[in-house]
Amino acid sequence: MGRQNGKKIWSIMALGAMMAILLLPVATSLNALASGGGEAPPAPAVKAEGDKKDEAKVEKGRDVYYKTEGIVAGAPAPKTTDGTKDYPRYNFESRVLLWFANQQHLYYGSFVLAVPIFCMIIEFMGVVTKDKAMAKKYDQLAYDFIKISLTAYSLTAILGGILIFTFLTLYPAFFGYLSSIFRPVMHIYALMFVAESGTLYIYYYGWDKMKEGLLKWIHLSMSVILNVIGTVLMMLANSWIGFMMSPAGVDEQGRFLGNIWHVIHTALWNPLNVHRILGNMAFGGGVVAAYAAYRFLSAKTDEERAHYDWMGYIAMALAVAFLIPLPFAGYWLMREVYAYRQQMGITLMGGLLAWLFIIQATMIGILFLSTNYYLWQALGRMRGAEKYQRYIKYLVFVLVVGFLVFITPHTMVMTPAELKAMGGQQHPVLGNYGVMSAKNGGINVIITTTVLSFVWYMRGNKEPMVPWKKFGNIFMGTFFGLAYVNIIWLAIYGYYIPANVRVGLSVPQVATTLSCLFFMTALNGVMLKGAKQMGPIEWGKISARSQYAIIMLATAFTWMMGLMGYIRSSVRLFWHVNEIMRDNSPWAYTHTVGFAANMISFNVLFFWVSILFVFWLGTLGAKKAPVEAKAHAPGRVPEPAHGH
Amino acid sequence: MIVTNPLFWFALLAIGVVLLFVGKKMDLLNNTAYAAVVSVVIVVAYFHIVDHYLMEMQGLDYWYLFRQ
Repeated sequence: MGRQNGKKIWSIMALGAMMAILLLPVATSLNALASGGGEAPPAPAVKAEGDKKDEAKVEKGRDVYYKTEGIVAGAPAPKTTDGTKDYPRYNFESRVLLWFANQQHLYYGSFVLAVPIFCMIIEFMGVVTKDKAMAKKYDQLAYDFIKISLTAYSLTAILGGILIFTFLTLYPAFFGYLSSIFRPVMHIYALMFVAESGTLYIYYYGWDKMKEGLLKWIHLSMSVILNVIGTVLMMLANSWIGFMMSPAGVDEQGRFLGNIWHVIHTALWNPLNVHRILGNMAFGGGVVAAYAAYRFLSAKTDEERAHYDWMGYIAMALAVAFLIPLPFAGYWLMREVYAYRQQMGITLMGGLLAWLFIIQATMIGILFLSTNYYLWQALGRMRGAEKYQRYIKYLVFVLVVGFLVFITPHTMVMTPAELKAMGGQQHPVLGNYGVMSAKNGGINVIITTTVLSFVWYMRGNKEPMVPWKKFGNIFMGTFFGLAYVNIIWLAIYGYYIPANVRVGLSVPQVATTLSCLFFMTALNGVMLKGAKQMGPIEWGKISARSQYAIIMLATAFTWMMGLMGYIRSSVRLFWHVNEIMRDNSPWAYTHTVGFAANMISFNVLFFWVSILFVFWLGTLGAKKAPVEAKAHAPGRVPEPAHGH
Repeated sequence: MIVTNPLFWFALLAIGVVLLFVGKKMDLLNNTAYAAVVSVVIVVAYFHIVDHYLMEMQGLDYWYLFRQ
């Protein structure tokens, strides 16, 4: 008893210490922030000389975004020249090297930020569930998740180091300017990273010691702290790219005006934060699901297959939960880009980079097709789900039509001869369809169909027993049917009204899709309370094809992340910092679509080869604890494959 | 046109909800035709309200074409 109390006291002290570590960067930076980004306050002796002299010396500038006046507190952005002084180089394109280092760091960074959030959710589910066996399984699953991310965490730190060295050695002038603006932010970032590492290691290694009672709650609250730190880290890093795209807090010469919050809180910071956190979650879920798929495919026993099938399902469900709102966050980001600089929006979606958005649309379509395919395959492991199989062909039809509309280009890439033969850049028929009005309809139809597939999956092996089940089923069918009608109607209606009215139609379209998501899953949940089980879910009895669909989903997501990162970065064109610091290196041009696609593919390939190495490392520990080869009982809840 | 007035759709939604409660009281909800009619009334009204107000929130007129 005394020993237990001692453990509790130590745990509370450890938690307090972690909180202190968390707050330390904020406390140490308060002075710096108060004085405007680390600039030393004026000496009292100078003040004594009289206000008039001071005013004469103080130079003021006007914020390029906030339009407020501020005292100039930094040097102007350097005007670089093409030479080894500003752009030292190997006999190779420096931008490509930086691209590679940056992308790999981002992949791993996204992964290690997302996985602890999953751990937190799953561990919480384990703590609150009343079924002790299930609680233990959730706990094991959360542990499996964090174990994968631990090796990846080291790689993230190594890649971060490589990235900084690449910046320092190949782009010293630009990095010097950026770090002069973000000096206090970069210090906070580094200290937060220390806090994150400390919390993560205590969280991981303290798992067994803190598995019951109050200690478990303390352990769980550590995951909350871990994720708060991780999210703040991501938001700080986002402030740098936000500043590069839509600078604020500086004057037109790029001189810092003393307000660090203005520099952080740029026009695109919040949309970037929301878009990135959702993207990271979907990506992280996809990678963990791919890990589970890999373990499922290489499993030797039914127990292992059942466990990894279940793990893959949970990871996939989490990934899809964040994938569904992702396009809407993307729309918000694009809307803010247009609001910030219309030309930037046109370059992205109607000009130089428009074809990359067609590729993006294709990738989004692949993501949703893979998700639906997995859900349909997953129906196969439930008794009673056969009743939905015959309707799948209709869903395929709707998805394919939505997908084709979504990927239709407005203009074609053609040779001059082809252009002449067609009579213009727009195809006489297809040219009418490659517009946002139709595309919004296409993607919303795809997402609504995914929601419908998920609703079917939820009721796969269940028969509602509520007295109003007939009305419930008819209402759900009507709601989905009329949601499709409303989405398609709004898409068609957009052709008949002016552009300034049409642009608003995307909002009710999105609301229609989200209504299906929230209301129909909620209604389905209510209808399934006390439902009759037609048969158990036979974990592990899923086709191998479904696992390849998961791997496809994860790979497509990795590719799309690379693509979107490239698009977002390319939109600055020949600017390091948009309209403030010009890129005068020999590589200040936009790559061809083909080159960019090859580069993205190389990055994806490298990431997956390296993450496979991480997965393999994860299996080394597991092999020490042999799995008992028990006969598989169909439909049982999966046992953890190994202990920890 | 009466359909361009959101009150019309609110009234329709209210009728749908009343029919739902009447149907529940009179054990009509498991009648296919009755359930279909009530569902259509509620859902059509709901989506029109969504379309109208989400456009209005943006300072836009959902009924632009119908007012021409």
